[in-house]
Amino acid sequence: MVAEKERLEREVVAMRVAKELPDGGYVNLGIGIPTLVSNFIADESVVFYHSESGVLNCGPLAEEDEQDIDLINAGGQFLQPVDGMAFFNTVDAFAMIRGGHVDVTVLGAHQVSARGDLANWMLPERGVGNIGGAMDLAAGARQVIVAMEHTDRQNRPKIVEDCTYPITGKGCVSLIVTDLAVLQPTPEGLVLKEVAPGWSAAEVQELTDARLIIAPDLKEYEL
Amino acid sequence: MPERLDELTMARRVVAELRPGQVVALGAGLPGRVPEAMPPFATGTAPVQFLSESGVLGYVGPGESSRPGAGALVDSGGNPVALGPGGSLLSLGDLAGMLRGGAVDVAVIQPAQVSSGGDFISWTTAATPGIFAPGAAVDLAMGAQKVIALLPHTGSDGTRNLVADSSPLTDGRNCVNLIVTDVAALRVTEQGLELVEVAPGWTADDVAALTGAPLTVAPNLREMTLAWNDADADAATAGKVYPDGPAAIADLPEGATVMIDGFGGPGGMAHYLLVSLRDQGTGNLTIISNTAGIARSVNFGTPPGRLAIDHSILIDHRQVRKAIATYPVSPSASRPSSFELAYRRGEVELELVPQGTLAERLRAGGAGIAAFYTPTGVGTLIAEGKETRTIDGKDYILEEGLRADFCLIRGHKADTLGNVVYKGTSRNFNAVMAPAARITVVEVDEIVAPGELDPELIVTPGIYVNRIVKRPEDFSAYE
Repeated sequence: MVAEKERLEREVVAMRVAKELPDGGYVNLGIGIPTLVSNFIADESVVFYHSESGVLNCGPLAEEDEQDIDLINAGGQFLQPVDGMAFFNTVDAFAMIRGGHVDVTVLGAHQVSARGDLANWMLPERGVGNIGGAMDLAAGARQVIVAMEHTDRQNRPKIVEDCTYPITGKGCVSLIVTDLAVLQPTPEGLVLKEVAPGWSAAEVQELTDARLIIAPDLKEYEL
Repeated sequence: MPERLDELTMARRVVAELRPGQVVALGAGLPGRVPEAMPPFATGTAPVQFLSESGVLGYVGPGESSRPGAGALVDSGGNPVALGPGGSLLSLGDLAGMLRGGAVDVAVIQPAQVSSGGDFISWTTAATPGIFAPGAAVDLAMGAQKVIALLPHTGSDGTRNLVADSSPLTDGRNCVNLIVTDVAALRVTEQGLELVEVAPGWTADDVAALTGAPLTVAPNLREMTLAWNDADADAATAGKVYPDGPAAIADLPEGATVMIDGFGGPGGMAHYLLVSLRDQGTGNLTIISNTAGIARSVNFGTPPGRLAIDHSILIDHRQVRKAIATYPVSPSASRPSSFELAYRRGEVELELVPQGTLAERLRAGGAGIAAFYTPTGVGTLIAEGKETRTIDGKDYILEEGLRADFCLIRGHKADTLGNVVYKGTSRNFNAVMAPAARITVVEVDEIVAPGELDPELIVTPGIYVNRIVKRPEDFSAYE
């Protein structure tokens, strides 16, 4: 059964996403797998992290005995003070996002469509959801990368022809990195670019609702 | 003709019009003399806060800055000025926001011409015919509650500066409330110009002869008033510091819209005022905030093992009718917040807003911008029922500015004029909300004298803060 085959660890997904971050770029990481990405930046490159809580150049999390309630990221985690940190208010935090100053955001998702629509703020069965900074990031960041599991907990595909959940942004996702594959939404449809070791394009298609266009240079997951 | 008033005496007539506690924006030219015409005051009091479009709030007149290492400050005419205790420095965007947002009581401008309907032409327009150069005069005249035009009654060639008809090239229609010249003071009324005061030795007929518009003469026409009226000085300068939280929000009415934030965690949340509001029991509130209280349910930004006070205490006390929020419910469905439970019971309404849109709606509300186009939310549920527009090939939705009756913010330190500095990530929505409420109350760890906060580092200038309370030292943000 394809569904029971071994998939990549969350850390490996984060490691693959880290390769996409530009050296010297300004990057906003969402909650979940995206948060792990900062652990895998190559030693020789520099990435400046932005958080909607109003801080630029934030980095590692604080040790438990050094937690400061006045130093948090947008996920409510405590940050270590770092030289060169800058604080600002929420208007400025989002001017950076919508104004095109944030190069890349990495977000989690409930669903992504073949054409790059993103749904990550509401599960209809709960009836109420949190938008937070997601819609602004989807609309404003220069590049939106989704990092997530390929299927949900019931093993239903999260990569779909059209989103059935309320969307966060239309056509905003430029790359999807999952525990099975790397995929690129395009106006023509969803291009499968890389597969996890041991997985075939046909097996990935079996767990994907959207029809896949196989890249001519399809490769194994490149780390 | 009798002698005309000199510039400084004209400025004294403007000073007579000001009241303690006001924020007074001064344009270039003659208005630059107004600070010199103020009587001297004891150190530490700031009877009037002068605002210059060069980006200085709270300067006291000509002079060099006495702050070591500080750069030169200039007024809108480029003249060196000294900062008073509690003064602060602003970007032009913040300054324009103060004006449009209604935070400026009086603007004094020097137009080239004023019409009997209160229209004006900025002096630069006359000096450079054919070139429309309104500068900041337009913002000053549109935004301030009261506009005083300070100008010579006639040009050096005898041209009349007060005219009956407005030129088609006006910089602002129906803006000017009072005209002060070197021979008279005139009110702009719906019936035209009313002569209320004349310079010593001048008669109403003398003034009328130099005026290009019909005049009515006030029944109580008198000689020019030149004295500063400090009747309310004590109330204006002693007023902002309140003894405790309950006193600071005692008049917060039933059904009010109240901004309370912190990003979600205990950092930057006005817990003491929140508890004061809970204890006061005022109901039917609409709250505007990032979360509607999630710190308690998921320990957001909260040290382990602590139970933070947040908006949930108002929800549990059934004081909230509606929340306007970006992240209203717990991220964990299995650990619902008080708000989510109340929402499921149908006890509260929710207006869900993207975070950056909420920030910008508050900024707009505080800065006198009615609405703006944003790309955020295009094609989503958020766009339903909203005007959309394509600009340069990209789609946008129209979002409206947002204001509140009360705003309860959390700063680190404030001076007695209400200037605020924050700590770390705790400024977040606090600094954005402060300008957008009718009454803004700040809760701080420490209240200091004006001049003790570095003007370069003030984040929220006192113009936006009405009341200050110190969080008691034994107060805990945790239960």
